[in-house]
Amino acid sequence: MIYTKKSPALLVIGVMMLLWGWLNASGGIDGMQKWLQKSAYSDHMKVKEKFDAELRVATEIATAESKPAPDMKMPKSKFDGAKAQQARLAYIFGGIAAVLGLLIMVWTPKEGQLDYYLSIFPGMAYILLIAFIVRWGLDPTFANWGKDAQPALGWNFATIFNLNYVVLGIVIGIVIVNVFKIPDWAANGVRTARFFLKTGVILLGTLYSATELAQLGGLSVVMIGIFVLGSVGVVLFMGKRMGAGNSMTAVLSAGMGVCGVSATVAAAPVVNAKAAEIAYTIGTILVWGVGCMFLFPTVGHLLGMGPVQFGAWAGTGILNSAQVAGAALAFDPHGIETLKVAEIFNITRVLFLPIIVLWLAAWYVKHEVGAEKVDLGRVLLAKFPLFVLGFILLFILSTLGAFTPSGHYQGKFFSADKVKEDALLKGKETRAIEGELTRLKDAAGAKALQDHFTAKAINVGQRHATPEDAHKALADLVVNKKMTSREQDELLKAVSKMGGLDALTKSAIEKADKAAWHSSKAIAAFRDWLAWLFSFGLIGLGMQITMAALKQAGGKPLIIGGVVGTAKAVGSLIVVLLFVKEFI
Amino acid sequence: MSPTVTAGTVSTGPVTMTTPLKLLLCHHGTVGAQAAATYALDVAVPGTTTLVHCLVVPALWTGMQGDDWLNNASTRDAFGRYVEDMLENDAKRELAAVEARCRERRLDYEAVMRLGEPAETVLAVAAEVGADIVVIGPPRRKGEEGLRSRMDLEKLVRGLRCPLTVAPRQ
Repeated sequence: MIYTKKSPALLVIGVMMLLWGWLNASGGIDGMQKWLQKSAYSDHMKVKEKFDAELRVATEIATAESKPAPDMKMPKSKFDGAKAQQARLAYIFGGIAAVLGLLIMVWTPKEGQLDYYLSIFPGMAYILLIAFIVRWGLDPTFANWGKDAQPALGWNFATIFNLNYVVLGIVIGIVIVNVFKIPDWAANGVRTARFFLKTGVILLGTLYSATELAQLGGLSVVMIGIFVLGSVGVVLFMGKRMGAGNSMTAVLSAGMGVCGVSATVAAAPVVNAKAAEIAYTIGTILVWGVGCMFLFPTVGHLLGMGPVQFGAWAGTGILNSAQVAGAALAFDPHGIETLKVAEIFNITRVLFLPIIVLWLAAWYVKHEVGAEKVDLGRVLLAKFPLFVLGFILLFILSTLGAFTPSGHYQGKFFSADKVKEDALLKGKETRAIEGELTRLKDAAGAKALQDHFTAKAINVGQRHATPEDAHKALADLVVNKKMTSREQDELLKAVSKMGGLDALTKSAIEKADKAAWHSSKAIAAFRDWLAWLFSFGLIGLGMQITMAALKQAGGKPLIIGGVVGTAKAVGSLIVVLLFVKEFI
Repeated sequence: MSPTVTAGTVSTGPVTMTTPLKLLLCHHGTVGAQAAATYALDVAVPGTTTLVHCLVVPALWTGMQGDDWLNNASTRDAFGRYVEDMLENDAKRELAAVEARCRERRLDYEAVMRLGEPAETVLAVAAEVGADIVVIGPPRRKGEEGLRSRMDLEKLVRGLRCPLTVAPRQ
């Protein structure tokens, strides 16, 4: 079979990308970019004004000294950076697409690996083109419209409805597959979306500290353990009571309990689910998942949830794993913290999957007359998610300092040497700290410090922190105008959280803390690529959600799914709000 | 010839000008399809009519892996094979059942099995086999359980070049 379709589509996409790159590089669409990137353009104008003033002064001085006019170069603004990035990406991927597109046009494919691998590029370029349009065009457009309409509406519709690149990408994917259909030439490449999403999760492994992973892992095991086992149990009970049939009940409990469609796909052959049962279950899960993806972020914003709370809620309450990632990014599209939490929950769910499939296999054999026994070891091996090993490997490499100086945290590392001159504390701030130091040295101040350290269990090395440690750390900060060691930074961060501290001192400590931490270039690049990988993957997954599958939602699965899905979403929300605190 | 939609009681009789030579029966195992089969078998005349059994596996199955992305490729392949085998076995069972009834009545029988959107596929098969009449079952009543893959009647009626009979509900 020949997979590569002779079509000029890839070449056309490549040329379109190259054209976009050239228009950005040449400034040909600056007018449009000014509107699309209002904030970056505002930064650009500030940089330009500052540069013009400096140039004017330098020119005047040079003229006064009868020297030639100075040759100064305007520093790059965020606006310049954003345009340069768009041009760079468009050139790279447009170039690749154009070359491969030409190859497809002139080469007569023969059966084999080359034909198969070449056939995936048009679809990948198709999704990437949509990702470019969504991230560079639609996302800022809706953000601008939301802001423009805010005075009239009284609220920002783009924020409330999460009309960002993630949601828009998934919606466009769903619209394409259901209204326009995926073109034949793109079909193979669209399937690679799963691969890129998994690659995103593997790369995400670089962004966790050991403490964070331990905390999130513990939380997710508890939450997922309770809600997965609980919902599997409830579905098994309800299915029996409603006479839904053993295979239907088993496949539904996997889907409702663990990770949605993925669990259904994994469990269906093991419990001999019938065709209609699979269709009902997947339809119900998709309807529920897509609904939750739109609803959860809005509720999260209305309740003022933080990344840990929302990630934990979405990771537990949303039935389908793809929509967990979608909801996390929809909630926090320009950060990665919520996604980090949600993906730990997704990974925990998928690690639970082989165990649940075994449980259901055993349950099915016990309840179904004539059911064949399952090779438990084989099921366990086959269902183990291999990509999790990649995630763990990247986490270990990152922890060992492969991508950034040792002791990094969330992609940042401490370095006193790299603190810039303009980030040093100003006189007003050091004077405020000196004043506060005097107060903290008297008996009442020292006691307040001691009580705070005891309550929060603050240590310096292996011993408990004392007020004297804080006094010395504050005095050093005044002298050096910056943090000089990680220990000093950690201790003073704890001091800054003490009640009754002077506001200026608090903000000065926070400023010094921020100035001492630097982003690792490798990790920053990973973060950027992660956003692209998830954007690409979610658009592709949107293209797998067909109305024909959604329409199958119905019958007993819809009733059971509605009850269990609602109970899981509401129950996990209550648990999260009551017991989960922000810690990253 | 423009399509004629008829529904009513079954009548059998001698070969006439309107006796179909090629009767296309759309049957995929539902209650409505059983009615269509019964009607078709009554209309068909042994030795004259060839009953072409068109079984459409709905295209919705191509999207039935949904947006699963967590599983290994081997798990997805196992699921795909499982569903394919199941659909194939279900289809073969239906084909065998109708064929057996045709054999009983000494009717010539042909089978066509396709994956696709029902109306489009029936139109294509009707043209390919040169059907003289197409027999389908009555639409499912609202609220009745079953896969939501309905025949687009308007598309079928507009596209057919032979009469279309909707079998009466049993």
